[in-house]
Amino acid sequence: MKFSLEWLSEFVDTAAAGGPEGVHALLDRAGFPVESTEGEGASTILDVEITPNRPDVMSHRGVAREIAAMASLPFSSPPGHAGGKGQGEGGGAHVTELTSITIEVPRLCKRFGARVVSGISSAQAPARARARLSAIGSKPISAAVDATNYVLWETGQPLHAFDLDKLAGRRIVVRKARKGEKLVLLDGVEYTLEPADIVVADAERAVSLAGVMGGLDTSVTASTKNILLEAAWWDPPSIRRTSRRLGLHTDASHRFERGADPEAIPDALDRAAAIVIESAGGALAPGWIDARGAAWKVRRAALRLSRLRLLAGTEEIDIEFAASALERLGFVLGKKSRTRVAVTIPSWRPDCSIEDDLVEEALRVYGYDRLPSHLPPATRPGGHLEPLRVVEERLADSAAAAGLFESMSAPFVNRKTDEGAYAAWLAEAGSGPEPITLSNPLDDSKPDLRSTLLPGLLDAAARNVHHGQREVALFEVGRVFDRAGDPDEPASFESRRFAFAISGETRTHWSSSGAKGRADFFDAKGLTESLLSPWVDPAELAWSPFSCDAFGSGAAALVKSASGHTLAVVGLVSRAEREKRKLDEDVFASEIRVDAIPAARPARFEAFSSFPPIEADLSFGNDKKTSWSRIRETVLAAKPSDLESVRVVDRYEGAGVGEGRVKTTIRLVFRSSGRTLEQDEVNREVRRVADELVARLGVTFAASS
Amino acid sequence: MPDDPIGSVLAAFREEAGRGVGSRAEFERLKGKYLGREKGLVPGLFAGIRDVPAGERGAFGSRANAAKQEVEGAIARLAEELQRREVESRRAAQAVDVTLPGRFARRGSLHPVTIVRRRVEQIFLRMGYSIADGPELDNDRHNFELLNFPPEHPARDSQDTFFVDRKAKSPLLLRTHTSPVQIRELTRRGAPLRIIAPGRVYRNESVDATHAAVFHQVEALVVERGISMADLKGTFEEFFAAFFGRPTKVRFIPTFFPFVEPGADVAAQCPFCSGAGCPKCKHSGWLELAGSGTVHPNVLKACGVDPEEYTGFAFGMGLDRVALLLYEFPDLRLLLDGDERFLSQFAREA
Repeated sequence: MKFSLEWLSEFVDTAAAGGPEGVHALLDRAGFPVESTEGEGASTILDVEITPNRPDVMSHRGVAREIAAMASLPFSSPPGHAGGKGQGEGGGAHVTELTSITIEVPRLCKRFGARVVSGISSAQAPARARARLSAIGSKPISAAVDATNYVLWETGQPLHAFDLDKLAGRRIVVRKARKGEKLVLLDGVEYTLEPADIVVADAERAVSLAGVMGGLDTSVTASTKNILLEAAWWDPPSIRRTSRRLGLHTDASHRFERGADPEAIPDALDRAAAIVIESAGGALAPGWIDARGAAWKVRRAALRLSRLRLLAGTEEIDIEFAASALERLGFVLGKKSRTRVAVTIPSWRPDCSIEDDLVEEALRVYGYDRLPSHLPPATRPGGHLEPLRVVEERLADSAAAAGLFESMSAPFVNRKTDEGAYAAWLAEAGSGPEPITLSNPLDDSKPDLRSTLLPGLLDAAARNVHHGQREVALFEVGRVFDRAGDPDEPASFESRRFAFAISGETRTHWSSSGAKGRADFFDAKGLTESLLSPWVDPAELAWSPFSCDAFGSGAAALVKSASGHTLAVVGLVSRAEREKRKLDEDVFASEIRVDAIPAARPARFEAFSSFPPIEADLSFGNDKKTSWSRIRETVLAAKPSDLESVRVVDRYEGAGVGEGRVKTTIRLVFRSSGRTLEQDEVNREVRRVADELVARLGVTFAASS
Repeated sequence: MPDDPIGSVLAAFREEAGRGVGSRAEFERLKGKYLGREKGLVPGLFAGIRDVPAGERGAFGSRANAAKQEVEGAIARLAEELQRREVESRRAAQAVDVTLPGRFARRGSLHPVTIVRRRVEQIFLRMGYSIADGPELDNDRHNFELLNFPPEHPARDSQDTFFVDRKAKSPLLLRTHTSPVQIRELTRRGAPLRIIAPGRVYRNESVDATHAAVFHQVEALVVERGISMADLKGTFEEFFAAFFGRPTKVRFIPTFFPFVEPGADVAAQCPFCSGAGCPKCKHSGWLELAGSGTVHPNVLKACGVDPEEYTGFAFGMGLDRVALLLYEFPDLRLLLDGDERFLSQFAREA
């Protein structure tokens, strides 16, 4: 908001305050940072940021009051002020004979003041008023309009000038708008109103949208002779609702929705009338109309020394200081002792109501920079971590150590187009069928909150590929959302996920070129196993083929824990999902349900054998459809004594192996915990295993063995 | 017996040894043939001394000794030569071009916001804070109402909100700040309390180099007996000193947040120019990094805490902007783009 130093000087000695630099520093200290300054010396214009709780500072008088309080300088009303009621009044009819005001909505309009000026010319506003308005970027229009603008920028009270002769019945009714009522405002646009809007009406129709903008029909024009000046107090929430609904943000609505000062109304009317008359002539009708709605309260509060010192953290400050600071800010002092002061809060301070508000006022003047500083004493041990965060961090650390980069993405998607292919996975992952949809999304094409991290991650992978990255390895830790929750427990709408995507030359090296270096399913599977290993032994994970449109047919798996909880999906991203993103290369992706990961079992020492192992390899041909897990189960089902482990060491398809067959080599390791095994006994066990494999799975051993 | 056994042995040896030995086996054969204890030709000369006339035995003996020395010397030289060749060939077999790239497992990295978040967390954990968490999708009650934002208050304008269902009694929304965690934790755990709550927040603003609709904050809340503005100031001084690695001046200026009273904007003296003014602090010498204040009594009451018994302070700080300042990247949008050219630059930080 822009303020002119010259204008401020009417209320406070800005030179004594240190000129432009001094004023800048004082406003910063007061909590109204100066964002920029233009010009020099008296013609300096300050752009000041004013917090929404301080409508009273949205005027030159208000800014000057802050400067005066901060600098301990006198604060005064300008000498040229119209001052007391009646000044400038002509003879003629009393205002109550010229018009009348009726308030039908007393709680929404607590006060409506009006004065009438008759017989004005079409002259412009006084030159100084026009110059000041221009300096802060407000375009001069006419004497009556400029007078209202001038007073707004001087006192903070918005006003409106009506052409009295255009008001049907020459009277005013403050009421709610009728449903569907139409009103053309000063911007020339016709608005359709609702009963939630407050209007100023004449005998027939709405003539102004209260607190927001005047109507075009009754506005002051070059031919206007008689004007009615309005200064009122409007209910802030009502003004805000109307202003937001219609997208009409004005200087008036900005102040009214933050809370105007009902006590400022009489002076503001006088001041505006005086300015109109100064250049456009006319006569001010004697008297003014002070229509009242509900009463506004005089607010009082008291400040205790103990509270002041407690919040300030210093014994250096006393009641004397606080009282004088408050007084300088316009608070009226009541009963005062060494330990307590009672005050009446100024009517222009809607932000103040309680003791701590007074503490802030006193400390603002005292200066936050003078407050001491120290660490709060330790009271009890902290360091508690939220358990799922610990899981997330461990996953992230493992992934980063495995060569993946953490990515983050915005959670805005279109459930249908972005996540449709993931439906099978979402169902397995416990996501509800309904997405959470924003009513005011950033991008209308992405109104839903994501239910899976995968589409966002694949988008990121695609962007990397498109600018020439040969290897992509990304992961994301984040929240996903769906409708299946309890509105009273918003946390129930979200769950936590970890996802990764890998593609391209993940193991590239000059010594192993070509396809060997490209990511494949087993990279993704191994990474998933390794990521989950702090909580679940990879041997305890159950992997089963999974059919989901987002993954290539036959190339995806669902991963469950021993207790049957779905933990993750891993697979080759489907052709459709890749084509959508113009990805030619295979991409393997996985998503882990962080909140489904079981608690880690604490480590416990297990005795190990100190006797040597005997290894035995078995090579056989088997049907390609016979899964490794079946082979493994069959080996274990034979219960070979002293078998320590069994693993697959080679698989070969191609020349020499029949169609649909594969040559598998497994390695059995035998070890006893109590003695050194004999080769003969191991051979017997191996033969038993081999017979079992032949009998149960129809594997074939080469004739020589 | 040849006329001159010594001469012919020597001649044969000279010829064979002169051809050199190709392998250790050849060498051993040559050595055995001439010097072998049982059947070696040179020892054989000494055995043949009996057949030499007595008068010539002296001369024969010294010639045989000379021949033995010659053969032994030559064999030793061959052995050396062989040894040298063997070492050489072993070296050649295991030699590598040490300048070729190693089979290096590429190290990934955490996201810069994660790195900054963890740094902040570590500092507060050391100061006795616990880490709390709350939902990103929350309701109006927790995001605004209980934080002393009255309905239709213009203070809400500064936090453009994504709503899920505006008409609900307490509409669901994406939290605009991490402050709702204050409410949840204080209500659940009561005072005394000392927590930080890092997390993701959302504002419905148009996105550009310096504005994001999705970003991250860390919230702090301390509610204990006797907490003052001085505790807030001291905490920030300690935090900035730890974060920037050197004592840092802190500036507090009054401001307004509905949930604190008094409220303060917190700026750190720019650690990049020591306050002299640089592009990072827009030549002001200060970096505005957090909003803070002592907890408003209405907030304490809403959480069931007696504001006469306990006071507290709270602050919130944006992590994305801190990351941007710290790592000197030009555009906040890089944070949500997943570009490995960007993400890979922070590997050494994590």
